[in-house]
Amino acid sequence: MIDTKPRTRETQFVSTREVGLWGRMLQGDRWLIILFLLPTLAFLIFLLWLPFLQGIWMSFHNWPFIGKPKWVGLQNYRDFVTASYFWTTIRATLIYSLSTVFQLGIALIAALALNQKFIPLKGIWWGIMLMPYAMPPVVTGAIWMYLLDPNLGMVTHYLIKLGILSEPIYWASDPTWAKWVITLVVSWTFWPFMFLIILSALQSIPESYYELAEVYGANLWQRFRTVTWPHIRGAVLAAFIIRIVWNLEKIDQPFQLTGGGPGYETSVLSVLTYRFAFLSGDFGMAFTVGIFLIAFMMILMIPFLRRFQILITQAGKRG
Amino acid sequence: MVKISGIQVKNLVKSFQKGTVQACKNVNLDIAEGELMVLLGPSGCGKTTTLRCIAGLESPDNDDAIWIKGRNVTRLPPKDRNLAFVFQDITLFPHLNVRKNISFGLDMRKTCSKEEIDRRVQEAARLLHLEELLDRKPNQLSGGQAQRVALGRAIVMEPDAFLMDEPLANLDAALRIEMRTEIKRIQRKLLTSTIFVTHDQEEALTLGDTIAVMKDGVVQQVGTPYQIYHQPANIFVGTFIGAPPINLFPCSIQSRGTEMIAISDLFYLPIPEAIAKNLSLGSQNLTLGIRPEFVTIGPKLENSFLARVTLIEPLGSRTLIFLEAKGREIRSVVQGEAPVAEGEAVHVTFQMERVFFFDSTGKRI
Amino acid sequence: MAQVTDRSSFVHKTLAYAGLIFVLSLILIPYSYIALTAFKPPGEVFEVEWLPREWSLEAWRYTFKTVEFQKYIFNSFIAGLGAAILSIFIAVPGAYIFGRKQLRGKEIFFYIITVALLFPYVLLIVPITITWIRIGLYDTLPGLWIAYQIFIIPFALWILRGFFAELPPSLEECAMVYGCTQFQAFYRVMLPLARPVIVSLLFMTFLIGWSDFLFSNMLTTGEGPRTASVILYVTAVGGERVEWEVLMVMTLMAGIPPVLLYILAQKQLMKTFAVRRR
Ligand SMILES: Nc1ncnc2c1ncn2[C@@H]1O[C@H](COP(=O)(O)OP(=O)(O)OP(=O)(O)O)[C@@H](O)[C@H]1O
Ligand SMILES: [Mg+2]
Repeated sequence: MIDTKPRTRETQFVSTREVGLWGRMLQGDRWLIILFLLPTLAFLIFLLWLPFLQGIWMSFHNWPFIGKPKWVGLQNYRDFVTASYFWTTIRATLIYSLSTVFQLGIALIAALALNQKFIPLKGIWWGIMLMPYAMPPVVTGAIWMYLLDPNLGMVTHYLIKLGILSEPIYWASDPTWAKWVITLVVSWTFWPFMFLIILSALQSIPESYYELAEVYGANLWQRFRTVTWPHIRGAVLAAFIIRIVWNLEKIDQPFQLTGGGPGYETSVLSVLTYRFAFLSGDFGMAFTVGIFLIAFMMILMIPFLRRFQILITQAGKRG
Repeated sequence: MVKISGIQVKNLVKSFQKGTVQACKNVNLDIAEGELMVLLGPSGCGKTTTLRCIAGLESPDNDDAIWIKGRNVTRLPPKDRNLAFVFQDITLFPHLNVRKNISFGLDMRKTCSKEEIDRRVQEAARLLHLEELLDRKPNQLSGGQAQRVALGRAIVMEPDAFLMDEPLANLDAALRIEMRTEIKRIQRKLLTSTIFVTHDQEEALTLGDTIAVMKDGVVQQVGTPYQIYHQPANIFVGTFIGAPPINLFPCSIQSRGTEMIAISDLFYLPIPEAIAKNLSLGSQNLTLGIRPEFVTIGPKLENSFLARVTLIEPLGSRTLIFLEAKGREIRSVVQGEAPVAEGEAVHVTFQMERVFFFDSTGKRI
Repeated sequence: MAQVTDRSSFVHKTLAYAGLIFVLSLILIPYSYIALTAFKPPGEVFEVEWLPREWSLEAWRYTFKTVEFQKYIFNSFIAGLGAAILSIFIAVPGAYIFGRKQLRGKEIFFYIITVALLFPYVLLIVPITITWIRIGLYDTLPGLWIAYQIFIIPFALWILRGFFAELPPSLEECAMVYGCTQFQAFYRVMLPLARPVIVSLLFMTFLIGWSDFLFSNMLTTGEGPRTASVILYVTAVGGERVEWEVLMVMTLMAGIPPVLLYILAQKQLMKTFAVRRR
């Protein structure tokens, strides 16, 4: 006779009637709650929402690094949409966001391979696989800068040696190649995040499921489809969505590899924000571009929103 | 024996969700020093809520509901009540080993010396056969061991009372019976007032000095196991206690000379004087209740009536016989093997001195 | 039947090893090459040769003596450490309340956290820089510590909240019956239980501070607490000749400590990253 009645254990703090000494004690607990929430609330307000609103306010100004800001209304927005580089930037952002797909691919291969029972020395491989993600992006960026250098880089050298290339590619000044280089470098750097999440999900699949599938004669592909995939789908989706957003703001490497150039060819929206802020000191314009970044992210996320909504409400109900 | 008051619950009212759910409507309990009281009732009747109010984990609606040793503790926080609570889901602290789990309460109190704490932990461990396990973590314990650790944590506090909320519910059947005996043995040894919540009547009957039967947030009856079984206060207590359950028949009372007679379509039964004096003539809408073991199958007697055996269920030392008469089912329990066969027609007699009468509101007369 | 199983398991193994080798070579080839480059004398970096013909510590000497890179490594360390400690004080209490207390409007908070998780933080660099200049946090370590919270707190709240919510509900009540106040129940019982998660968050935040380039570049000057990432960036893109061997030494110095940390915290990390399905 196990008590299976679902119940929300309403803790004291919202009790309807609180009187007397114990009541006052409960008031004391209310203080605890407030005290505990204070840092988080301060964070949400002062580091997230206020700066965000302040940024919007700034986007209506001509706001230099030092000096007096000047109200310009929607001028920044108009300037940006009509700028010659507007579509260049959008195109760069689109290609750049493909890196999420590449990351998912590598992460899936790595996680599935490492999750097999018969693979030895798992700990070591795990450590190696995390290296790109663990290092500062500027470090991995520098490494690829060297390896991809058209004149003395190892990659160019071998590609020519193998006859794949006939001459070095000066990718930093080639609009197409520049975009692919930053996209691939970012993919190479950040895929282990998804790898970690997928691997944890894989590890939580009970072995007996596979045994059962095997008893019923499921082959490798069928086992993946009927056991593995349904179990990791939620985790993959969550990781994918988080990554879409996070990738679009990983700009250390583009900034370092191409600086957003040639011209604006690799000025992904977030790079452009940083360019305006750091290089031109034009903060109003910088945030204007940021607003477009948010819009871009939202559009990218629309296809996933419904699934994600389900996912987070489930997560929300847990607590 | 003079009853020294241990815990008193006076007119406890507790509602949830802005008063829309009343878990405890008016609960009154009086647990004497050293007494083991079992709080018994169906699921959702407010047992846990009552216990949590006593422990201070819920705040009652009224201000003077909970008294411990004559002290009003209704608004004191749990830690100042000197009670020990044993949870249904056992709830050991996963990060502490058994020793630290047991001494947790004493460590928090800071009134005991280290030696004293050690001594008490050792003693509790001996009492509960936990000496070997003191350095284990909770996840290395079996269910029974874990529950014994939870008991140990309560015992070392030397509290004014133990409050146990279905402590055995998560254990398997055999272990439950073993632990039940263990708990009673320990309680007898320590003589600490105990409230033991369960919805298992067998547990209640074997364990309790007294049993309080609850329903819908109200205590229906408090009494010894014998009283609860043989003198149920109302139909609910009568039916809730006893397995197989009591037989109930609608009836009315008429007189035959000086005798009173219980009449229904099934029977025509003279009522013994001791019971009859509480009844009034011509009462309608009464309910006659009789426990299966007092329904006898045997030779035709003056008051017997005919029934057919529909089913026989051996219960080990006893046998449960289902009978049918005029479309009504009657349960009878006999010692040993069934003296009859399924399908047979038999004569059924009620032992009239064991019969209960309940009035139309369900109260026993 | 047996044969079929064997064949499939051969395919299975081949695929798994192929995948493993593919991914590993993707990582190991670049790393081993640059590790060797760090030991080449300046003249040798212009040719593609795996082993240095002449092993040299010249680049290391230059990095330590002339650039004084260790100074910036130390700045990175302090920036990461401070950010990590601060983040725990912000996220743990908040996540505890969100995870375990019934509050009115709790779901709304949950959504706010989720939105914050998907917020493009890079935007905030703009207003934060302006504000930091105005209130004097510009070019200071606390300024960096606070700014880094933007990167980690939403994620930390998300992970910790889930963790707290999944602990058995009666734990604190049990602690309170056995003598704890509300705060002690948190401090004595919940906090020790959350330790593995807290440790991995501490260390993720540390790495954020250690690795960050965007804020550090924006919020500090050459005289202030510049971190190693910025120096690396400057060495890589500034000047007309890149000193590759020096750059590779820097990448090793800035890159290896985090890798070691990751390996040390492997177990905790795996737990933290276990985003539950359902
Ligand atoms: N925190 C709460 N909020 C709302 N309703 C509650 C709360 N706690 C208990 N209740 C309600 O109060 C009533 C009594 O609950 P209680 O837990 O005391 O029953 P119980 O007798 O212990 O049952 P069980 O044998 O199933 O444990 C139930 O109807 C329950 O739904
Ligand atoms: Mg209960």
